[in-house]
Amino acid sequence: MTAEIVDRLQFAFTIMFHYLFPITTMGLAPFVAWYTWRAARTRDDGLAKAASFWTKIFTINFAIGVVTGIPMEFQFGTNWAAFSAKAGSVIGQPLAMEGVFAFFLESVFLGALLYKRREVPGRLATLSATMVWLGSWLSGYFIVATDAWMQHPVGYAVRADGRIEMASLWAVLMSPFAWWQFLHVACGAMVAGGFIVAGIGAYYLLSAREDRLARDFVRRGVIVAAIFSALAIFPTGDRNSANVTSYQPVKLAAMEGLFASEPDAPLALIGMPDVSNRKLIDPVDVPDILSFLAYGNFRANVRGLSAYAPQLWPPVELTYYAYHVMVGLGTIFVTLAFLAAALLWRERLFGVRAMLWALMLAMPFPYVANEAGWVTTEVGRQPWLVYGLMRTSEGISPNVVAGEAVFTLIGFLGMYFLLGVLFLYLTLREIAAGPSEAAP
Amino acid sequence: MSVLAFGTIAFMLAAYVLLDGYDLGVAVVAPFVGRTEGERRAAMQAIGPFWNGNEVWLIAAGGALFALFPAAYASAFSGFYLPFMVVLWLLMGRGVALELRDHFPSAIWRQFWDAVFSLSGALLIALFGITLANLLRGVPLDSHGYFNGTFAFLLNPFALLVAVFAIAALAMHGAAFLAWRVEGAVAARARSAGQALRILCLVLLVLVTVAALVMHAGVSAFTWAAAACAAAAGVYLVAHTAVARGDDRAGFAATTAFVLALMAVASGAIFPYLLRGYPEGSGGMTIYDAAPSAPALASALAVTIVGVIAVCIYSAIVWRRLAGKVRSGE
Repeated sequence: MTAEIVDRLQFAFTIMFHYLFPITTMGLAPFVAWYTWRAARTRDDGLAKAASFWTKIFTINFAIGVVTGIPMEFQFGTNWAAFSAKAGSVIGQPLAMEGVFAFFLESVFLGALLYKRREVPGRLATLSATMVWLGSWLSGYFIVATDAWMQHPVGYAVRADGRIEMASLWAVLMSPFAWWQFLHVACGAMVAGGFIVAGIGAYYLLSAREDRLARDFVRRGVIVAAIFSALAIFPTGDRNSANVTSYQPVKLAAMEGLFASEPDAPLALIGMPDVSNRKLIDPVDVPDILSFLAYGNFRANVRGLSAYAPQLWPPVELTYYAYHVMVGLGTIFVTLAFLAAALLWRERLFGVRAMLWALMLAMPFPYVANEAGWVTTEVGRQPWLVYGLMRTSEGISPNVVAGEAVFTLIGFLGMYFLLGVLFLYLTLREIAAGPSEAAP
Repeated sequence: MSVLAFGTIAFMLAAYVLLDGYDLGVAVVAPFVGRTEGERRAAMQAIGPFWNGNEVWLIAAGGALFALFPAAYASAFSGFYLPFMVVLWLLMGRGVALELRDHFPSAIWRQFWDAVFSLSGALLIALFGITLANLLRGVPLDSHGYFNGTFAFLLNPFALLVAVFAIAALAMHGAAFLAWRVEGAVAARARSAGQALRILCLVLLVLVTVAALVMHAGVSAFTWAAAACAAAAGVYLVAHTAVARGDDRAGFAATTAFVLALMAVASGAIFPYLLRGYPEGSGGMTIYDAAPSAPALASALAVTIVGVIAVCIYSAIVWRRLAGKVRSGE
């Protein structure tokens, strides 16, 4: 095993595990703030219980998110020292801003929220919950801005010794790549949040418990899931694709499994990429659509992978499948959420057990879709670490050998397995106890 | 400007050591001041709303080092590869122990997490101490500014001595925090533990100072060593009188001043290096080597300083709202 492969595996594993938790915190924070605010306004006991319940679920997520998040920052220095030394002046800044602006906000105000949790929520609780929400989204924004710079570098200057330096922080933070990517990520988190709240509500309804709160959870969850699953496709998903088309055409070709350059390029709904023979096996195509989606013109020529040297290709199979999994699930989410919303509109949803089952079972899938989206983005970025500026192989720490990295990778595997088991156990316990039964 | 950047990072690290220092110190003294489960629970509740925010100082300081001195960040984090990875795992252990301890009504479960909490706290302090000691002693930088800090190199006698001193100092700090924030038997035991730790700290401080003087013989080290002793002795007197009067708040203020003085002395001793070379006299990576050019540094410095000031203000406000003691021994 080379050090590069192990470093990449370790980063991929630790960030994919870590990201499960920010999805939930970003997606649940608005619900926590909503229920806390409503409880503070109405002094309603049921709403106070709902606020306390979601705060607890949120807190377990947040705790695991924090402890698994620190290794992400550390790894830039430990495993990717050459990258950090060369580009740290740029990527260090949004990361430092995440620390001082977003992360403190979340932690300090979550502390305040928990400290007061035995009391009926008041103004401090509402303020704290809102700040936690703001902090979690700001955090997400700074991280996405860092990633967006690696996807599409802007606002930098290259020094004589090859180091890349920040020339305009404003340009980095305001990059359209960053904004559309962040909005898409936020939609993904909200879809997850909506389906979790609706799914847990559906579970209670199916078990004939928590009647009043459960209906409220399902109602709010379904509405949020419907709105944001639509926004995830248009405009945010569409604008992201447009950015990829403009700045990373090789990635687009890999995502779509398009080998030959063609006008009237078809959109492959399914099919298996066969990279050695440069074709899709068993494709189901919609003619001309890819040309239209990419360039707004059914006749536009879309450049396939063959137009580029194979050294510039990302791993095609992984990029292709991750993208198709994300898009496929996204389509299912829209369908499911709009069906449920229609039933809600007709006031029939709570009686349709099949729909409640579907909502409950849908809970894990937004996580799959979110992760698949990131795999598309990051694997599709290869072989670049910073698009067009620095290759991934050039970024690893020269002084850390594969043996050290294998050891720590195994350590992370073991540690995260335990964390995962504990997380599931605690969360399921809170859900089983329910908002009414839960101790304050 | 590089000096200001160094000062900012030194400030953030000092804030981390000061704030998370009492959390870690509480972890070290918890088994001694909390004889029953309820008492240990009270000790952990005292740091409950704060530790997460305190830990963020470490993340923020890391981020600031990344932006302000990228080359030093790259070199130090890859050089201290294994110790830093162990730090990460221990931080996980500590955080999980605090979060999970009271989620399951079983004595065995609680005892297990209490042990994880205390062990990870002590080991974290030891690893931070070892890192700091090696920054003072110097690391074997190659011509590209990298080094490989194997445990065989890092675990030298000076580093081990500093590790022991760090545990004693932060245990004292944690005990002072408990004496101030908790009521009843826990506070009483924390007070007497604090007295014993104070004497231990003074002895160790003299040993560390002598060791540092021997190690850096002929360097300007003497000045800072003398300053350290003077500061420490002054703090000791203040602390002693405060505790004699039963003023626990002043006692905590005294250990705070002690920890800050030590961090100031350590930063002053490392300056103008970020990574001192080893052996002595082989140069090293200075703040001027590691900083980006002026406009990039100015941009990073501006956002960091604005952020840090904002954090200080709202942390102070929130802490004021969370005043009040934790009762022990339920």
